[in-house]
Order: sequence, then structure tokens, then C-alpha cells
Amino acid sequence: MTDVASPSTSDTESGAAPTTPKAGKRDVWIVFFIVPAFYTAFGIIFFALTRTMPPPRPDITTAQMVDFFENHSTTIRIGFGLLILIVGGAGIANGIVMYHMKRMSTGSVLAYSYMGGMAVGALPGCLLVAICFLTATFRPGRDPELMAFLYDLGLLSYVGSLGCFSVAYFAFAIAILYDRNEIFPKWLAYISVWQIVTEILAVPVFVSRAGAFAWNGSISFWMGTVVFGIWLSCVIMFLKKATELEPVDAPPLD
Amino acid sequence: MTNTEQTTAELDQPKDTGGQRLPHVPGDSHMWVMVLGDLFIFGAYFVIFMIYRTMAPQEFLADQQHLDVTVGVVNTIVLLTSSWFIARSVVAVRAAEYDRAIRLTYLGGAFGVLFILTKAYEWTTEVMHGYTMPSGDFFMFYYMLTGVHLFHVALGLLILGIVVRELRNPRKRRTSMAEAGGVYWHMVDLLWIVIFALLYVMR
Repeated sequence: MTDVASPSTSDTESGAAPTTPKAGKRDVWIVFFIVPAFYTAFGIIFFALTRTMPPPRPDITTAQMVDFFENHSTTIRIGFGLLILIVGGAGIANGIVMYHMKRMSTGSVLAYSYMGGMAVGALPGCLLVAICFLTATFRPGRDPELMAFLYDLGLLSYVGSLGCFSVAYFAFAIAILYDRNEIFPKWLAYISVWQIVTEILAVPVFVSRAGAFAWNGSISFWMGTVVFGIWLSCVIMFLKKATELEPVDAPPLD
Repeated sequence: MTNTEQTTAELDQPKDTGGQRLPHVPGDSHMWVMVLGDLFIFGAYFVIFMIYRTMAPQEFLADQQHLDVTVGVVNTIVLLTSSWFIARSVVAVRAAEYDRAIRLTYLGGAFGVLFILTKAYEWTTEVMHGYTMPSGDFFMFYYMLTGVHLFHVALGLLILGIVVRELRNPRKRRTSMAEAGGVYWHMVDLLWIVIFALLYVMR
């Protein structure tokens, strides 16, 4: 792929004070700013509105599950209704990572692997819980057992381990490690391994209904969320840096 | 496993600046970010294990009796031996004895594979006796802590493979690379020792 070009030095002619060269393409900047905006909205929806984070208890009775949907029906409808509208932001957030991966010397194949893994994971890992909870709140008269099924299905798919994400993180790490254009720092690749570990530790949520490995547990949920938060903050920070360092006149990617 | 273009001589030896020897940090800073962060994360897992153990000491102790301490000891010896080979390999790289370093790395990796086989035997035995993840909190911690550690061992084997690949190529040989691999492998070793102490030994 393209090599990162050096900043222009033409501004320093005639002894004039050097000016900071323009950097970053406008369209890439626009896409970049959508990323923190989307994840901020994502956090508000999942934490504040729909009460999906931290998740409600997995070990409650069917009647309590029905009560959960009744008690939070308004915020679930607003929150997940909003998510349905803005979920395309996930595609944009993954797309800009893929864009910068394609600028790496490692080529496109790992970028496609990353995008494929994230795209496959988006439905069960993000959207399915919204569909389940919206169905439960917009069709409140259903059999309580069906309500409990939607509760379990939504939260198991949301918190449960999904191997496609592990593949995406692995592709991301390998691409960074072998990249010679230094788009992202090497340690970002190493800490992506932490994300794979958190996916492994989310496997037992299908088995465990209480304790550290339940879907609201200290390891399967809280540790995973903290590590994801750190990882995502680092990715956004280095996406910004990579966008800043891309020359305005760099040719479009294939 | 960086692609930085620093030469071996720049990275390898303690720098001598006007009679003052600057301390040498093995490997590269990127690997240290990973290792220190990983130790912190595992430290949190260990604290959480201890909290749950404190809440149900009798149950944890009863389930712990079903683990085979001998297999745990074998695992520990195998991994310590592996680490010894890797440490010797790094010393050989520093002395520019690359053929010897490659042989030692292969030996270290072979003991890593032996660790995985021993763990597979242990898991199979436990499962055949009916002790699986749903058997209780202790076994849930047992399978997950040893499982995540096993993932690190497998990743370490991949890293050792990359180290060997680079050592075989005279144009790519970097001591920092071998050191980074060694740092990672010793972290895997250290984590196992704590896991062994917590799951098998502590009564």
C-alpha cells in the first residue's frame, strides 16, 4: 500500500517561518469525528437508557423478567429505537479502522478480515439485544415465558463470547505488528490480545447464572468492559493521530 | 516483534556513556506495555478468585481436592524448564551464537507444547470424572484461569516461532526481538506459578 510521505517543507523557502503543513483529509476527519460521537451515544443508550449495562441479573424469576421490561419499557423503547437509527455508526467506526489498516504496508487482506469479523459480530453482539428488548416492550401482552426467552436471548447474545470479534482483533494485531508504515504503535497490537482474552472469559456466561462468570459478573462483564473501554480509547486516540499524519495529497486507496 | 530499524548493537548492550553504564531494558517498550498490563489484568482475576474463595472456603477446598497436584507440579517443572531454555537462548543471541539460540528456542517451544499436552490430559481426566465448568465456582475458575493461561502459552509458541524465523535470517536478526519473546515467555511462566499456587497448593 502507500507509504506515509514526509510533510512538505516548501513553506520554509525564503527564510519564512515554517508553518504547520496541512494534514489529514477532510472526508477522513468527518468520518473520524463520527466515531467518538457514535460511542458516546452508544454508552448513553446502553448505560443510561436501556439498563443493559450493567446487565440486569441472570438468576431472576420469569415474573421478575417481565417486571424488568414493564418498569423500563419507556427508556428501552427510546434507547433501542435510537440505536436502530444510528447503528450504522458501528460500520463507520469499523470502516475508518479498516481505512487506516489499508494504508499499512501489510496490505488489504487483514483489513478485510477485521471488517468481516466485526460485521459478522455486529448483529448478535449489538443489534440482537435491541430487537429482543424492543419486541418485549412493544408486545407486552405475550406469554411471560416468551418474555423470559427474549430477556435471556438478548443478554446472552450481547455479553456472550463471539469468536468473530477475536478474529477481528487478531487480524488487527497482526497487521500492526507487520506494518512498516507505522500507522499505529506496536503496543496497540499487543493490547488487542487483551480483547481476545476478554472474549474467552465471556464464554461461561452461557453456563453460569451467578457469580464472577455470569453475564453481569465481575470477570465476564466488568473486567471485559473496563478492558474494552481502555482499548477503545487507545484506538480512537491513534485513529486521530493516524488521520492527522496522513498527507492531504496522499493518493486515494485502491 | 517490532519492525524498528535499530541495530542489534544499539539495543543489546548496556550503553557506555562517559564511563556511566546506562541500564538496559530487555526487549522493547511495546512488549513491556503488554506484559505489565497483562500482569495487572491477571492480578485482578486473582483478587476476584480470592474474594470468591473467601466467601465459600469449604466448597472451594472440597473441590480443590479433586485436582491432581502431581500433574500441576509436572506442569510447573515443564514450564520452568522451558523458560530456562528460552533464557539460555537469549544469552546465546547476545553472544551472536545464533545456531545455538535457535536450537534452545526450539527446545523451549517443545516444552511449551508438552505443557499444553499435559494440560489437555489433566482437563480430559477431570471431565471424565464429571468435573466440568457447571460443577461449581471453583471449577469455573479452574477452567477459565488455566484456559486463558493456555491461550497465552499458545500465543507464546507463535511468538517463539516468529523469533526462530527471524533468527534464521541473518538480515533480520535482532537481539531485542529474542528478548521481547523471552520477556513474554517468562510472563507466561510467572502467571502459571501464581495460578498453580492459588488453584492447587493454597489450602
